[in-house]
Amino acid sequence: MAISRNNLLAAGLIAPLFVVVVASFIVPLLVTLYTAIGNPEVRQTLPLTTGALRDWNGEGLPPEAAFAAVIAELAQAQEGQAIGQLSRRLNFEQTGLRTLLLKTARAKETLAAPYRESLVALDTRWGDTELWQLLKRNTGTLTPLFLLRSLDLTLTPAGSVAQAPKEDAVFLPLFARTFVISFWVTVLCVVIGYPVAYTLSTLSQRAANIGMALVLVPFWTSILVRTTAWFILLQREGPVNALLRGLSIVDEPVTMIFTRFAVYVAMVHVLLPFVVLPLYSVMKGLDPVYLRAAASLGAPPWQRFLRVYLPMTMPGVAAGGLMVFMLSVGFYITPALVGGPNDQMVSYFIAFFTNQTINWGMAAALACLLLLMTGILVGVARLVVPGFRLGSVSP
Amino acid sequence: MHDPIVTFEQVTKSYDGRTRVVEALDLRLARGEFLTMLGPSGSGKTTTLMMLAGFEDPTSGTITLEGKKLNHVPAHRRGIGMVFQNYALFPHMTVAENLVFPLQMHGVPKAEIEPKVKRALEMVRLPHLRDRKPTQLSGGQQQRVAVARALVYGPKLVLMDEPLGALDKQLREELQLEIKHLHEELGVTIVYVTHDQSEALTMSDRIAVFHHGRVQQLATPAELYERPANAFVASFIGENNRFNGTLAARDGTACRVRLSGGEEVAAAIEADLAVGAPVVLSVRPERVAIGAHVSADNCFAAELLEVIYLGDHCKLRLRVAGSEAFIAKVPAGDPATIAPRGTPLTVAWPAQACRAIPPLD
Amino acid sequence: MNPQGRGLALFLRTFTAIVLVFLMAPIVVVFPLSFSSGELLTLPTPGYSLRWYDDFFSSSKWLLATRNSFVVGIATAILATTLGTLAALGIFLGRFRGKAFIVALMSTPMVVPVVVTAIAMYFAFSFVGLNNTLTGLVVAHTVLSVPYVLITVLATLQTFDRNLLKAAATLGAPPHVAFRRVLLPLIAPGVATGALFAFATSFDELVVAIFVAGPQQFTLPRQMYAGLREFLSPTIASAAVLLIVCSLALLAANEYFRARGKARTAAADPAEPN
Repeated sequence: MAISRNNLLAAGLIAPLFVVVVASFIVPLLVTLYTAIGNPEVRQTLPLTTGALRDWNGEGLPPEAAFAAVIAELAQAQEGQAIGQLSRRLNFEQTGLRTLLLKTARAKETLAAPYRESLVALDTRWGDTELWQLLKRNTGTLTPLFLLRSLDLTLTPAGSVAQAPKEDAVFLPLFARTFVISFWVTVLCVVIGYPVAYTLSTLSQRAANIGMALVLVPFWTSILVRTTAWFILLQREGPVNALLRGLSIVDEPVTMIFTRFAVYVAMVHVLLPFVVLPLYSVMKGLDPVYLRAAASLGAPPWQRFLRVYLPMTMPGVAAGGLMVFMLSVGFYITPALVGGPNDQMVSYFIAFFTNQTINWGMAAALACLLLLMTGILVGVARLVVPGFRLGSVSP
Repeated sequence: MHDPIVTFEQVTKSYDGRTRVVEALDLRLARGEFLTMLGPSGSGKTTTLMMLAGFEDPTSGTITLEGKKLNHVPAHRRGIGMVFQNYALFPHMTVAENLVFPLQMHGVPKAEIEPKVKRALEMVRLPHLRDRKPTQLSGGQQQRVAVARALVYGPKLVLMDEPLGALDKQLREELQLEIKHLHEELGVTIVYVTHDQSEALTMSDRIAVFHHGRVQQLATPAELYERPANAFVASFIGENNRFNGTLAARDGTACRVRLSGGEEVAAAIEADLAVGAPVVLSVRPERVAIGAHVSADNCFAAELLEVIYLGDHCKLRLRVAGSEAFIAKVPAGDPATIAPRGTPLTVAWPAQACRAIPPLD
Repeated sequence: MNPQGRGLALFLRTFTAIVLVFLMAPIVVVFPLSFSSGELLTLPTPGYSLRWYDDFFSSSKWLLATRNSFVVGIATAILATTLGTLAALGIFLGRFRGKAFIVALMSTPMVVPVVVTAIAMYFAFSFVGLNNTLTGLVVAHTVLSVPYVLITVLATLQTFDRNLLKAAATLGAPPHVAFRRVLLPLIAPGVATGALFAFATSFDELVVAIFVAGPQQFTLPRQMYAGLREFLSPTIASAAVLLIVCSLALLAANEYFRARGKARTAAADPAEPN
């Protein structure tokens, strides 16, 4: 009795946050998933055409009713904004369809029955079976196209999966680049962070506190501010070039901004504390008795490090490294500001499709894949590091 | 016992609906007594205490306090004081504030609070530490404050859950006596939980020995030690030598037991057992005499296996009637303690010092 | 220590010093740049002046962004701290299975790449009209920062000795009094730390702001980002300095609360001074 009253109270306390997280996080993620596979444009804008194509078997040309419907509905769509969405959507299926649709919509007055002949006369593409197959395929509620395109695949008009044309096949190299950059950032962070954390853990408490403060201050400074600092420092006329020239290391200013080098420098700077902090706490908590035991058993310093210290601090390396990798994969601001066009990662294209080309389907599909990869990484992290939690490092 | 302060009637507690942590418990506490619940961990003693305090509800059965049913009274309305193992002093309050807290909760008028706090601190001899925070006190001081806090508002009944468990041996013994004296002075009823048998023997008026959720025996310390009701109590309280055998003959409280090796032993019996029943014989090491001269009821040949020196006395490990773990306690100067290993000896004990008790099921 | 070991130690200390300089340098360098009297962000500065701070404080854009940042940050801190603390208490008090799952679910915003969260909210907010509103920004920042509050408060509760609540009950305190006089004062430092995290998260957040906020809702980071993409003026350096100063203040406050929290929970393991 007391237990259930207790749990009722607990549920009441948890409920508000639960509702907020579900409503403003889980639901938006589901909306994104739907945006990646939803296909509402043809059904909504061309309902009669959709109906007329329902019984067409996909061979030859569809019945006259379909031609009549498509003319009427396209003209109607032109009065609202629907024509824009529809033509953008279908143009993504096949380049050139945008102009065809707009042209057809505008030509309503000049077209008379029989509509099949007059449409084909307007543009021969309307006599193309593949165009109608494409239209019919997109009368469905869902489409795999965005996800396929994210993987550099596409759909043929007949509906089978094929390699995307070379100029569109940019996403697998994009994912590969994202992984390569994230991998090297992780390696650099671990290789630099390990000795730093070790050295800090061997200092006197006073010196270690000062050292840790120098790690914590950047950690608490916002990513944008730190990236901005690098943006300023690495300019052609910026302080780093001034320093290099002042020291006569170079004669001409070196181009550093908008290069992969700048991306690595800024990302390592931003993410290094995520390795140093957990490693420091693991190393600080390590009982020196194990090293003494190893020494008394005859292990020379190098062996003590390799066979006792390193394995015992490995959980910290794994936790910090996975954390850095996971954060790197989703990086956006830093490469966008200090990197060049060939240094952008998946996040950049998600933003690009959302804001620039307004292709929400592609943005959502890339986001879903990025989310999936993060999920896999979290799963790996849980397997590799027992009790792995992202909260283990908080700002 | 009339007018008990607390009664348990057929109280059973189960967390999962199958395993019973406490089973059909019947217990009556006399007003003003010091009752200890003694048992190994998981024996149900702490659960029993928690049900009395109001932190667990019995699955079935009734608990009463001063004749009133307690079952669904929340803990804060029971008026039962409690001392916890880890002291549970409020770390953000000073010693004095910790003591003021229960007085405020019980609506004691402001004017009476200060004298009560003062008296309680004097009682535990800590008036000089009233403005310290608990973190600034030693473990012993913290526990004294905890005792004072549990007593300051004058509860009729105080529960103590292994209050001295975290302290070292010397401090523990000091505080045992202190708590005992407080009990005698204030006449408050105390229910004390411990797994330390010597603590239980030192402090209690009566001891309830818990095992597997049941009270195995409820008796005074002396009775518990001298006349254990069963094999568990015998083994849990003090050291003893045990033999398995069958009841060969019985005449009232005297009996003869045949051991598995064929030897016959004269013993005392109280349990309701018939001839032929399996029994356990229990002999306390300090009741065993060594030497060839003894003409006791039971006399056996033994072989010296080991001498364990303990300062004021020695323990001899002997081979007796097939057992290699037979222990006899002798004074430090006894000639047997300097005898070489393997020396043949004779051990003897009177029938009254040897009890035939039911084996543990 | 043998000479070899001493050499290694010296090498490690030098290396660490270089890395620490690398970590601090960009943050330090921004300070003189922001006080430059020149138009260019270069060192050495031609002279020192406050003109870029003057520019910052006389620009309606920067002032609006500052105001927005504080409004959104404070609202987020209040909302996230309330929701996160209540939920942490529920998880602490309840006796049920699946607590780990609930914590994991509430913490997912920490795991999901911010861009994904940002566009998800942008898509969803477009249906309910929350884009280009401060409310939308507060909701988004609350979701992003609530995991920190939840985890901090839960960690504080883990050091809280449940026996203290039992002790309060045996001393006659009804649950709500025990909550107010025993539990709340003891977890207060943890709650304060959570609130700081929440404020800092919102104050530094940019990615969600890029999608969800319109020009009227620009926060300091968003205004800085816009400035960086238009024209690199030293005003940006002075904005960066102001953000760094805020971060330092938050860090100092955080260390203060952590020390206080430690002093409180130290009671859980009784020291033996005698």
